[in-house]
Amino acid sequence: MAEHKDRRDFMMKAGLGAGIAGLGLQAAASLRSLVPNVSYDAPTTVKIGMPTDFPDGLKFLPDQRLFVFREGKTFHAISAVCTHLGCTVRAEAMSQPETKEVDGVKMKLTHRFLCPCHGSRYEGDGKAVAGPAPRALAWYHLSISVDDGSLVVDLAQEVARDFRLTLA
Amino acid sequence: MAFPFLSFLKRSQGPEAPGVHPQPFWSFRPRSDRESGDAIVSNFALHMFPAKVSRASLAWKYSFWLGTGSAALFLLLILSGGPLLFLYVPSVERAYASIKDIEYVVTFGSWLRSVHRVGAHLMVVVVALHLVRVFLTGAYKNGVGQGQKREWNWVIGVFLLLFTLLLSFTGYLLPWDQLAFWAVTVGTNIAASIPFVGPQVRELLIGGRAIDQPTLIRFYVLHIVVLPIAVGALFAYHMWRVRKDGGLAAVDKEARENELQEAPASSTKTYTLLGIARGTSPVIKATSISRLDKMVNAVPDLVRRANLVTLATIALISILATFVRSPLEEPANPLVTPNPAKAPWYFLWLQEIVTDTTIKIGSFTVNGAFVGGVVLPGLLVTLLILWPWLDRSPKEAAGVWFARARRRQNLVFLLLCAFVLTLTFVGTVMRGPYWHIYWPWEAWPDIPGRL
Repeated sequence: MAEHKDRRDFMMKAGLGAGIAGLGLQAAASLRSLVPNVSYDAPTTVKIGMPTDFPDGLKFLPDQRLFVFREGKTFHAISAVCTHLGCTVRAEAMSQPETKEVDGVKMKLTHRFLCPCHGSRYEGDGKAVAGPAPRALAWYHLSISVDDGSLVVDLAQEVARDFRLTLA
Repeated sequence: MAFPFLSFLKRSQGPEAPGVHPQPFWSFRPRSDRESGDAIVSNFALHMFPAKVSRASLAWKYSFWLGTGSAALFLLLILSGGPLLFLYVPSVERAYASIKDIEYVVTFGSWLRSVHRVGAHLMVVVVALHLVRVFLTGAYKNGVGQGQKREWNWVIGVFLLLFTLLLSFTGYLLPWDQLAFWAVTVGTNIAASIPFVGPQVRELLIGGRAIDQPTLIRFYVLHIVVLPIAVGALFAYHMWRVRKDGGLAAVDKEARENELQEAPASSTKTYTLLGIARGTSPVIKATSISRLDKMVNAVPDLVRRANLVTLATIALISILATFVRSPLEEPANPLVTPNPAKAPWYFLWLQEIVTDTTIKIGSFTVNGAFVGGVVLPGLLVTLLILWPWLDRSPKEAAGVWFARARRRQNLVFLLLCAFVLTLTFVGTVMRGPYWHIYWPWEAWPDIPGRL
């Protein structure tokens, strides 16, 4: 009779194991399906217009959440995404522009940046000076498109703060 | 009989089997203890109640009936959410327009939305007050009954509060207006600030890297399916545990007082037959149970009071909703952050903390979002969950308001509550553009909404 009991016992355990394995795999598959494989993000390399469209000083591009600065023939671009929790910072023109050496390059600071969410403040070069922001605003790579000469920003490529795009 | 299958409707005739109640329906105006008991035993909705309850546990001044109020609000939120389900479209193109329709086109739509919104806000308040009441009365403590596990019911209660907050927060996104979009931006970026796994957690939460259609549908399904089921199941378990633990903690206090007055108990009462066999059911000494002058029938005494609380809750919300209009801001615009951008009020104390907790040690920086948004709330919740095991006060402190033995912990708890309330007040009333402090009577400067 022990033989029968063993068989029943085995069948019971096999059934239980199969049930747990089945449900476990179903649950794992269900959860995995919620992790996106494709992210339909906006492209990171974007044409943002002809250089002549940019006035001297600052232009805000809401779609890219980006500030583009122009000083004569040189351009640089600073992100408008607060490094604390991702709100869009606002630029405030300074009454008295300052000149400061940033990473070895003389730079005229005409604006500062304020975050509406938690009050972080950044200097004109993006350096975080007050509030909870843990890092400076990102600087992005700018280039000129070979086909039509428009300005191209690469939002996936952060650059150092001495980066400048100078037109010939 | 012409319709034998209807025979159950007929009063049975002849000799009855003992214990089989003779009527298919029950009376809420019982004429005898037997009828009163039947109203509980044969009623699906009421079988969670005992047939008899102690007067002490019905006292308004003991519990303020906050748990019943929470349950009534949950019921009302399910009922008012029903019509909204038919009217709301969870799509980024149409969500805002459908809420606008509910607000301005649908007959009674604005009122229904306000009932749902006011009820949700009030549920956060009432559930939180319920937790405060249970803490201050030491009602998570086990008293004289055997086999009590009140500490576990406290843990379930903490989770019910968390789920209530999540329910409210997931509902916040659904209008897809500016308020919703930026509250969720900030909320999910807090999740992203967790070291190492943060970005993946955020991606899972919002179903991608930007807040878009996948985010809306995720929050929608959480709001209407997952979280309500979780709250419903936990609520049922919460109620069942109250019974298994021998009722409210006030009963233990009363039982102890009786014991002091009277001769030691000669018999015990066990609630269930299985409990006797296993010895797992709470056994309350007979002094607390058999003193009939301290006990009343659940029908009508308990049910009448519960109905009153429910009715008062429904009346209050219905009236409030006619006066309080629900706001609808501009459609969500990922390009423009409102200034100031605020989280829902019950998270504003956390928003205050994430503003102030960025730690800089030399070149090393810890984001305040992680400290204030993950570590501190995590610690607080852990402490709440573990508190019944950390509380070393004697069991005589169970079910007593401001018990002497628990004076210090009650004081610390109240100070913490005051701290949270102060931060909530500062965040709600005193934070203006760029998160600057303004006194309530100061006007905010005019700042252009767009650049």
